[in-house]
Formats: sequence, structure tokens, C-alpha cells
Amino acid sequence: MEKLEIDGASIALDDEGYLEDLSQWQPAVAEHLAAQEGIELTDAHWEILYLLRDFYSRFEHSPAMRPLVKAVKLELGEDKGKSIYLMKLFPGSPAKLGALLAGLPKPDNCL
Amino acid sequence: MIFSLVVQASPVQSQGAETALRFARALLASGHSIHRVFFYRDGIHNGTALASPPQDEANIPAQWQALAKEHQLDLVVCIAAAVRRGVMNEHEAKRYAKDNANLAPEFELSGLGQLVEACLVSDRVITFGGRS
Amino acid sequence: MSETSILILMRSAPYGSSAARDALDAALTCSVFEAPVTLLFMDDAVYQLLKNQSPAGIGQKNLNAIQQSLPLYDIDRLCVDQSALSHRGLSEEQLSLPVESVDAAAIARLMAEHTHVMSF
Repeated sequence: MEKLEIDGASIALDDEGYLEDLSQWQPAVAEHLAAQEGIELTDAHWEILYLLRDFYSRFEHSPAMRPLVKAVKLELGEDKGKSIYLMKLFPGSPAKLGALLAGLPKPDNCL
Repeated sequence: MIFSLVVQASPVQSQGAETALRFARALLASGHSIHRVFFYRDGIHNGTALASPPQDEANIPAQWQALAKEHQLDLVVCIAAAVRRGVMNEHEAKRYAKDNANLAPEFELSGLGQLVEACLVSDRVITFGGRS
Repeated sequence: MSETSILILMRSAPYGSSAARDALDAALTCSVFEAPVTLLFMDDAVYQLLKNQSPAGIGQKNLNAIQQSLPLYDIDRLCVDQSALSHRGLSEEQLSLPVESVDAAAIARLMAEHTHVMSF
């Protein structure tokens, strides 16, 4: 099992890179995990990551792509509430990669 | 007609699993086709390789395997439901660091999307063991 | 065959079994496939919709939380069997989401107008 060492804390990841203990998440964890994916986190990334964390705290699950797009549209406006915008920030699967970086469980409904 | 079956009933405790099996045989005998059998909730226990009932009782998991082999049935076990309950193939057993896999041959693990896809392509979707 | 539309029958009480949660998971997945889905709450499942649930004490997640996300999945049509509500002395004001109250004839129409029905 892979482990991250951040500020002296040892953070266990499952074999897809999601946190074993969700309470260990902090911004530095996201930065570290993003770097592993070759992504440097900007304000545009952070507003999505915090939106994901807010989604999880309200609805107790990580969103699939479609509700994520809809939630972004409602919170951050039409321009950002598009899958192409999210794909640019979080290439591949924004719902999965976003949940991973935001310290949430892997979305259940991604097939 | 194209049918898909959703099996929510576990093999021993509920009659639903056996009823589903009989229904599947009847469909095939009548010339209908079965697109998929989707095992959800406690129905995932139909997919265990370890079921060992006494010799004078029905072995439902073994009967599913035999039927699938004979008719090339697509037996899909919901991965989220199965992993929660401890039914895994080699891949998931490795992922969760378990010593053994116990998904029976002829079954595969996949997501709930396979249930919805079954609805999209089947004329009829019949649920067994719901409301439990 | 006409375009697929799915009616999910919710028939079980909220926390005695995993039925409510499993049915919601199936409903959310339907939305991922852009298949229109309607939820019909019957029997003890009307209790699933009560406000102010706090099941943490029995080690369960709160159904209200996942229910509140239904509009984000474009699941906007929640129907409730009117007689199931009234038999239990409940009214729509006690429910956590806006619902469409249906009688037996309307339930029959719902079943007829959807191409597929699944029961939990």
C-alpha cells in the first residue's frame, strides 16, 4: 500500500490513490496528489475541489459526472458548468480525479 | 422478446433466487432471449464459489453456472454490493489485500450501470426478491 | 420499443434493511445513463421521506442527505401513494422534498406509462 509523508504525518492510500482515512485530508495532500498526476493546482482547481467537499458534506456521497456538472453550473455559473471545462482542469474523469484530490471516496456511480 | 432479470434474493434464505432460475429456464425454453441476469443486494451471494449445501438440497449458485455455460448467459454481479459483502474476483481481492477470491466461474463483477444498460436494451426487466 | 423510462417502486421502510439506499443508488445510476426515472413511494417507504432523520445512532448514513441531491441528478418526479401516507397518519408537510400525491388510479397510470418498473 502506498503512503504519503506530509508534515510528518503518514497518509495511507488505497491502490487507486484514494485516501484510506478521509479525515487526514488537508490542502497539502491535494497538492501532493495533484503533482503525482502532473497537475499544478490553481484557483480554478481549488474552487472545484471545495465545491466537491461541500457536495460530500451535504449529500454524503461523491458525485458522478452529471450531477457534478450541474452543481458547478448552479454554484459557479454557466461558463464553468460544462464537462469540457472540468475535463481541462481534471483530465480523464473529472468526477474520479476530483474526488481523489478532494479527499473523498471514489464515486460509486461511475459504472 | 429480450428479457433481463434482476436478482435481489440470496440463494438459501429466500425463494426468490430459485424462482429467478426457474423463470430463466422457462424463458429460454419458450424461445425468448436473456440479455443479462444482474445480481444486486443480497442476490450477490448467488455468485459465490464456496456455497456447499448438503447433497439433498439445491445448489443454486452451481445451477446458475450450469445454465450460463449452456446458454452463454451474461451473469453480472454488482461490484459495490459484492465487495461490501465479501464476494470478490482475483482483481478485487488483490485490491483489498484479501488472501482469497471467491467469485464463481461464469459470473463477472461490474457496476450498477450494467443494470441500467439492461433496462435500455431489454423489452422486459423482471425483479426477483425485491421489497426485502 | 418506446424510449426507455424507469419507474422505481420504493416499498421498504428506511433503515430496517438496505433497500432504500440500494434503490437510490440504482436511481442515481439511471440518471448517469440519462434514462428518465420516477420514484414512487408506497407502503412503509413513505417513512423514507420524513424530515429530520438522524440515523447515526444505528450506524447508518442519513437518507435525507442523498435525497436532497436528487434534483442534481435530474430526478425531479417523486410520487407518493396518498393512501400509504394517510394510513400512517402522515401528511406532505412532514416530508423532506416536494412530492406528487397519487391515488390508486394514478399509480396504475404510472406503471403503464413507464417502459420498465423495478421494485425495492
